[in-house]
Amino acid sequence: MNFDLDDDQRDIAAGARDFYRGSASPAAARAGLEGGRLEPGRKALADIGFLGITVPDESGGAGRSVLDLAVVAEQGGAVLAAPSLVTAARAAVLLSGEPELAAQLADGSTAFAVLDGDPDESAPSVDAADATAFLALDGGDLVLGEGEVVPGRPLDATRGLASVRLSSRRVLAADAGELWARARRVAAVVMAAEDLGGADRCVQLGVAYAQEREAFGRKIGSYQAVKHMLVDAWVGVEQLRSLVWWAAWAADANPAELPLAAAAAKACAASVFEQAAGTLIQVHGGIGFTWEHDAHLFWRRAKVDRLLLGDEAEHLDAVARIAVAGALGG
Amino acid sequence: MDFDDSPDEAEYRARVRDLLERHAADLLHLEAGQEGVDARTHEAEMRRTQRVLAEVGLVGVTWPREYGGQGGTLVQQAIVSQELARARVPALINHIGIGMCGPTVIAHGSQDQRDRYLARLLRADDVWCQLFSEPASGSDLAALRTTAVRDGDDWVVNGQKVWTTLAHVADHGILLTRTDPERPKHAGLTMFVVDLHAPGVTVRPLRQMGGQSDFNEVFFDDVRIPDSERLGEPGEGWRVALTTLMNERVAIGGAGGTIGLPVEAFVQHARERLPALDPERQVLARQAVGRAVVAALGARYTGYRRLTVLSQGGIPGPEASAGKLAGTEAARLVADAGVRLLGDDAVYAATGDGDDRWQRTQSWIPGIAIAGGTDQVLRNIIGERVLGLPPEPRSDKTAPFSGGRR
Ligand SMILES: Cc1cc2nc3c(=O)[nH]c(=O)nc-3n(C[C@H](O)[C@H](O)[C@H](O)COP(=O)(O)OP(=O)(O)OC[C@H]3O[C@@H](n4cnc5c(N)ncnc54)[C@H](O)[C@@H]3O)c2cc1C
Repeated sequence: MNFDLDDDQRDIAAGARDFYRGSASPAAARAGLEGGRLEPGRKALADIGFLGITVPDESGGAGRSVLDLAVVAEQGGAVLAAPSLVTAARAAVLLSGEPELAAQLADGSTAFAVLDGDPDESAPSVDAADATAFLALDGGDLVLGEGEVVPGRPLDATRGLASVRLSSRRVLAADAGELWARARRVAAVVMAAEDLGGADRCVQLGVAYAQEREAFGRKIGSYQAVKHMLVDAWVGVEQLRSLVWWAAWAADANPAELPLAAAAAKACAASVFEQAAGTLIQVHGGIGFTWEHDAHLFWRRAKVDRLLLGDEAEHLDAVARIAVAGALGG
Repeated sequence: MDFDDSPDEAEYRARVRDLLERHAADLLHLEAGQEGVDARTHEAEMRRTQRVLAEVGLVGVTWPREYGGQGGTLVQQAIVSQELARARVPALINHIGIGMCGPTVIAHGSQDQRDRYLARLLRADDVWCQLFSEPASGSDLAALRTTAVRDGDDWVVNGQKVWTTLAHVADHGILLTRTDPERPKHAGLTMFVVDLHAPGVTVRPLRQMGGQSDFNEVFFDDVRIPDSERLGEPGEGWRVALTTLMNERVAIGGAGGTIGLPVEAFVQHARERLPALDPERQVLARQAVGRAVVAALGARYTGYRRLTVLSQGGIPGPEASAGKLAGTEAARLVADAGVRLLGDDAVYAATGDGDDRWQRTQSWIPGIAIAGGTDQVLRNIIGERVLGLPPEPRSDKTAPFSGGRR
């Protein structure tokens, strides 16, 4: 047993951290709420190779593991980067039989999004707002098409949420239910990884403020009500990190465990990120409730992510069903 | 990253499994549905079981060889624990001796003490307990009042300990006393090994909220302890106790061990009970089952991460407190959901067929959240030592203990 990142993955994480810190920020996420440009943007992500991490080398990708991708996604989540690597990860699975399209995904020349729900009137789907090519499940077939995009007023601008009505479609694979399900699970793992990054950042920011702000002649971090809130959020982050790594590893190395692991990671991410973001605002007091402070940007993403790709209740139900069906032995 | 056994680990596991099979007839086994055994009613079999396991090298796996251990790794210890659970062999009667007392004797004892005690401890020839807490000093352990006063070659001990797990079957204990009330509270303490059969020691079992008696009050009336039984220097008792507490943190949920019932047993229970609930309740029950499983897996895999770090030479630090905190929460969710799956029987102390397993499990949890550091104390440790948040102001650290006495 060896449950830790290897040196290579640690290097990948460090590189991704540098890239994301230099090219994206909560400030951009705030600007996005008022129509500004989101960062780092698809082109930069394609140029550094992040859109193609799990795309095979033959198609111009890096041919690497979901775990490697998760390690990168965590760093993107920490700065609320957009677009999401969830879309790249999910599309890479769906396009595994389409080398040319996969190459367009990896080099960013086509803006793909994956639609949830009915392709004639999709559910709000990640990164759909500025996409031009849509992947959808249509009566059990995997289809690719163009579509009419209906964005709503975003609660979190960084997710590029929009509903889409497909205006054309071509079948890429018939009877693609299983492929679709795997893609959605990998997407759930990568979103949980982004949430891990966001939640971890919330704890860091909260701790830093609690070490600095004084009230009643003491640092507020010395008050247990504040300290314990931050500790609980941190303990949650540690649990989430374990489940994300396990689920990403399962996606690569133990597909039989993926359904349970992905649902567990996504359910855990929903509550941990929400708790961490709520804590971040509370620890900051009034300033945490202002537009200018970053706290609400994490809070927005937590509130949105917990509902995307299946909400917490759906994933808890899945965990129970899969476990009871025998996935854990016992 | 790899969750499977390495070739060495697989080989070790096979050896452990084989040993457990070969000696099965000499080991105590739990019946299905049984989670623990009473150390008092099964004392003889439990001692025998530990002795048999010790003789084949399955006790003290991580202890150094020179003290009777196997010089093995924490991963090997985890494998032994998993295989013991799989074979339904109950927890060792001397788990406190092995997890906490023995390592303290190794770290702070004289060669003579190590020679006299450690081999017997591993074989459960002697069972050990940890005599720290007192009625007025639990979390605030350094406020203890049991005194030891020097008298020639002996020390004379008076006072009372409480909540002492296993004292009713123990032969020895590590005993924290106050030897210098004029010094600040942490500075005037001294640790001893005490013979629980010595004149003046009285052990009175306490009944716990679940009805059983695992812990005790222990009274010391002019108990004489030879100076050769001192553990560490006079006044150094706090430092010695920290060794014990650090080992305790790792022993309780710090490295991948399960607190409460294993999640597999819970899932099996859910499999049997869910279909009996009416459909609306099934939906709610699955939410609770899912939540408990997620918490249990999160705690388990976080433990595996710690185990990986420790097995690569890392040192057990305050992070281990998070393992106990998360493990306790997972155990609480598992136990509560386990009881609720019983339907109407959930309000009784046992199910209609007399099985009280889930109700009993539920009644351990409040104690787990207190023993070995309360949830609040663990949060303080994590907040201050892991997250680096400022400590609370204190007024008791420097004043002489006698001066601060109420
Ligand atoms: C099942 C069980 C087995 C045990 N076995 C042993 C044993 O073998 N040997 C042994 O020596 N002891 C043992 N104990 C005792 C255990 O270590 C103490 O109960 C524990 O340390 C708490 O002390 P206390 O009970 O005095 O509670 P207190 O310390 O009085 O705590 C009361 C409440 O105050 C809170 N509190 C106290 N200090 C702080 C603080 N600084 N910040 C925030 N909140 C605080 C606590 O969290 C708790 O909620 C056992 C206890 C249990 C329940």
